[in-house]
Amino acid sequence: MAEVQVLNVAVLDNPSPFGNPFQFEVTFECMEDLPEDLEWKIIYVGSAESEEYDQTLDSVLVGPIPAGRHMFVFQADAPNTGLIPESDAVGVTVVLITCTYRGQEFIRIGYYVNNEYTDTELRENPPLKPDYGQLQRNILASNPRVTRFHINWEGCAEKMEDSENVDPAPNAMLSPSCTPGKAPPLGLVPDNSMNCL
Amino acid sequence: MKLLKPSWVNHNGKPIFSVDIHPDGTKFATGGQGEDSGKVVIWNMAPVLREEDERNENIPKLLCQMDNHLACVNCVRWSNNGLYLASGGDDKLVMVWKRAAFIGPSTVFGSSSKLANVEQWRCVMILRNHTGDVMDVAWSPHDVWLASCSVDNTIVIWNARKFPEIVMTLKGHTGLVKGLTWDPVGKYIASQADDRSLKVWRTMDWQLETNITKPFSECGGTTHVLRLSWSPDGQYLVSAHAMNNSGPTAQIIERDGWKTNMDFVGHRKAVTVVKFNPKIFKKKQKNGSTPKPSCPYCCCAVGSKDRSLSVWLTSLKRPLVVIHDLFDKSIMDITWTLNGLGLLVCSMDGTVAFLDFSQDELGDPLNEEEKNAIHQNIYGKSLAITMESQLSSTIIENPEMLKYQQERQGNQNPNEAQGIGPENQTPKLTNVLNGESLEDIRKNLLKKQVETRTADGRRRITPLCIAQLDTAGTAAVNSIGMKSNLLLTSASKIEPMKALDSRFTERSKAMPGVTSVPLTIGITPLDRVKDSSSVKEPKGKDETSSDSEDKIMVKSIAKRKGEMEGAEVVEKRKKGRPRKDAKTMPFPQVTFLLSKDPSRLTTPIAVLKLPTPSIQKSFSTQVSTDGVTYLEVENEVSVVSGSRLSQLKWSREGREWDVLLPSRIIIAAGSSNVVAVACEDRTLSVFTACGRRLIPSIILPVPMSALHCSGHFVMALTASAMLSVWDVQKQTALVKNESLNPILSGTDATVSQSFLTQQGVAVVSLSNGKTYCFNSSLETWNLIADKQDSLVQCTDFRNCVSAQDALGSMGPLALTQGRNLSAGRLASRLSSTPHHLQQGMTLAFLEKQLSSALILLSASEYRHWLLIYARFLVNEGEAVREGQCHCSQG
Repeated sequence: MAEVQVLNVAVLDNPSPFGNPFQFEVTFECMEDLPEDLEWKIIYVGSAESEEYDQTLDSVLVGPIPAGRHMFVFQADAPNTGLIPESDAVGVTVVLITCTYRGQEFIRIGYYVNNEYTDTELRENPPLKPDYGQLQRNILASNPRVTRFHINWEGCAEKMEDSENVDPAPNAMLSPSCTPGKAPPLGLVPDNSMNCL
Repeated sequence: MKLLKPSWVNHNGKPIFSVDIHPDGTKFATGGQGEDSGKVVIWNMAPVLREEDERNENIPKLLCQMDNHLACVNCVRWSNNGLYLASGGDDKLVMVWKRAAFIGPSTVFGSSSKLANVEQWRCVMILRNHTGDVMDVAWSPHDVWLASCSVDNTIVIWNARKFPEIVMTLKGHTGLVKGLTWDPVGKYIASQADDRSLKVWRTMDWQLETNITKPFSECGGTTHVLRLSWSPDGQYLVSAHAMNNSGPTAQIIERDGWKTNMDFVGHRKAVTVVKFNPKIFKKKQKNGSTPKPSCPYCCCAVGSKDRSLSVWLTSLKRPLVVIHDLFDKSIMDITWTLNGLGLLVCSMDGTVAFLDFSQDELGDPLNEEEKNAIHQNIYGKSLAITMESQLSSTIIENPEMLKYQQERQGNQNPNEAQGIGPENQTPKLTNVLNGESLEDIRKNLLKKQVETRTADGRRRITPLCIAQLDTAGTAAVNSIGMKSNLLLTSASKIEPMKALDSRFTERSKAMPGVTSVPLTIGITPLDRVKDSSSVKEPKGKDETSSDSEDKIMVKSIAKRKGEMEGAEVVEKRKKGRPRKDAKTMPFPQVTFLLSKDPSRLTTPIAVLKLPTPSIQKSFSTQVSTDGVTYLEVENEVSVVSGSRLSQLKWSREGREWDVLLPSRIIIAAGSSNVVAVACEDRTLSVFTACGRRLIPSIILPVPMSALHCSGHFVMALTASAMLSVWDVQKQTALVKNESLNPILSGTDATVSQSFLTQQGVAVVSLSNGKTYCFNSSLETWNLIADKQDSLVQCTDFRNCVSAQDALGSMGPLALTQGRNLSAGRLASRLSSTPHHLQQGMTLAFLEKQLSSALILLSASEYRHWLLIYARFLVNEGEAVREGQCHCSQG
């Protein structure tokens, strides 16, 4: 039975110019040697309105992972400005860090990101076309929002029969794609702790 | 008595269902509802005990919180050695926690509470088997087993030395099982359920010892838990919710005969929890007064749905103290400190209360030695020296083993003393940083970490291992604190974020068909602060004195008295508390108005006398485990034209039949094929499993001592120590009135256990540890097991036992010998017997086992031992006997 518990994520190089790469230093602990790699992803939400503008900045495999406490820095390039709607460039958006094991996402860490001009002049009269060179990216590192999902650590994402009687509260927060049938109540990270601003 | 409500012990206002103080008294655990999961919290005890520690900000209050349970946690229990914490919850899981991997305080990443976990407790095992909410968990004495009970009507016994192995699932309850307690001697486990019964199970064969229903017949399933408790001297079992004259009580059940003549009365609503003080007390000797010989007594706390708590001493007729309105909702759990003077109570209202007694109030607690002396007095063996080697029976019945263990214990003591400190037990994370500080590493981590490309061109990072789990050494790595750099200040900026909120919880868009889910959970940190500050203020120390509370109770007793009728009041008051067994407490036994002339039937004079069971008004036994079958006996159920009729009722999964008998029934036994009952008029009646009488009543010369059925066989052991076994299908006698004289004469031993195997072989175990079976073809008594046998202790065939073998070793032989065969292995290693000697002993032992299995006609065990025997011969190169083995196998 394996368990990966994310102990901390430190946001490095923050605040920083919009074009700088994202850097997250992740500390996690694993109860047993993991036979397979973890896959980490950084997803930048281009617009609150639609998922269409989500960009996966990068994905890395992390491994091998013996039992113990580990850390690594996940660096990914800044988002492609061409894919961000101009109206959404300035203001608040979200960056997500997800981790999957054997194709099953078991943790999602979200941060609010505030993009704003450092220059007072620009702040008061923002140009119609965003000037990415002048934008500063500020990740609200103190308030990560962590959602944990129950996955089957033993095998791949096979369906579990044991789906009745799962506490309704965690399910209420899961998207339809992770109905109890697909979210086996097996994992060792069964909490769904949330943090809000 | 001091009373304190530490307001800081809370689950943010959510109910607390369970509380348990760690055996070393430095911390306690609470379990209950969390934000959106179950929650287990470990708290520091010091701030509860001392006010200055409570005010000292450097002393942490919360040590660790665990949100791993998916749903509400109903029970938390520390193991007796303090190494583990077990928790059970509505998520059907039992989790076992161990203190581990200490790197320094760390928060639960992303959790709302910024409180650091001072201690790290990790879930080391998840036990899955129950199909419904787990209501109670309990560690057996010496942590050999962990029991859990559930609303799935079962009790699961887990092998605590080999999680997640299941030793046995106890089936028989027909309602939600809501409480468990182990006999402190380890012979029984008791459970209470919503099916209006309390069942006592033997740990020897995990069969039902007794089923108590009468005090619960009026009970409705209204309580969340039914936490019953066994007294520390083992003599009394006290139930949760029972009824007597439509008043709620806690029923006292005597170990001796499972009599239910006394109860604790006074609570206005159902009793949810009973907890005995772990100490036995004796009266405080006051200076100057003449020291009178005082009897030891026990102390028991009772909590109820009426929100009040009562504490009773078995030496007093009235409760020592009753506290009303301690909580806003029902009391859910009670735990005593190990010294017996402190008590924590938790409630559904989400608060806990601490009661601190003085020795003047409770008395002088007996030390372990004195407690052991009492146990020895009652059970003839000491609890303290039972050790892990006694897997099957925690009772030592063998003086040699006792001596050996005492020696062993002597050797072990220094280690154990060290082990008590929790720091020493903590598995450590090894620092693998080679002296570099974590800060230095973090600065260069990005440059230093190894990044490669996989064959398909993907990035792969090898993480830096900063600590290994569960190896020796100490970790001195600083905590990784999250720097608080809150930059968002204007409230207006929060507004647009709502549109983004859903993104946090959805799974990655790689999954098709994702639609956003409105987020329902959104409490700002500010609100949470308010929540926690609105928790009740402490009610203040020294608020009440025991004097005033005594009065309150007197009032409530008086009130109850008025409700009852004259004659019964007298009886009630006598029933008010349990009394010690005559062996420990020499004061006179109380006779009860209800007593049903239990000793009218005296055993006729015989050379050898075996005890006969006394007649009970009603009793029931479970006769078969697979198709849960019950036999219920009700004596003198009706009077028809002057003769009193008794009823025997048989039920299996909804089907049932009953027969009436003209005499009171003493013993009833059954198998899947037959049912036999022995009556007061010395008749034995045999029925088929469908209720048809098989043979006219058999007349016995003397009353029956023990009766067993198995398959088509019926075994009768009379009070004059005569054994008979009949095959009722073929109507033949396998054993005809055979005397136990050969095995009993010359010893002061008595029959401790008897049973009948599936093949109709009668087995009799004596209190001297020897077990015999009667071989009807040789017409001899054969010794099949001897706990004093020196061969057993010096054999070593461990190499020859494979994992699958464990299954094959179940059977009558294993039942008589217990599983403490493994004890021998330890002994042999300690005493360093010469190899050839040990080899010879092992051979002799194995051959003995083989022949015993053969004479018991136990095929699976014969195969089991034959395999071990063969492997042993091959390993040891015993060519001569190998040949013989081939023959016998052929």
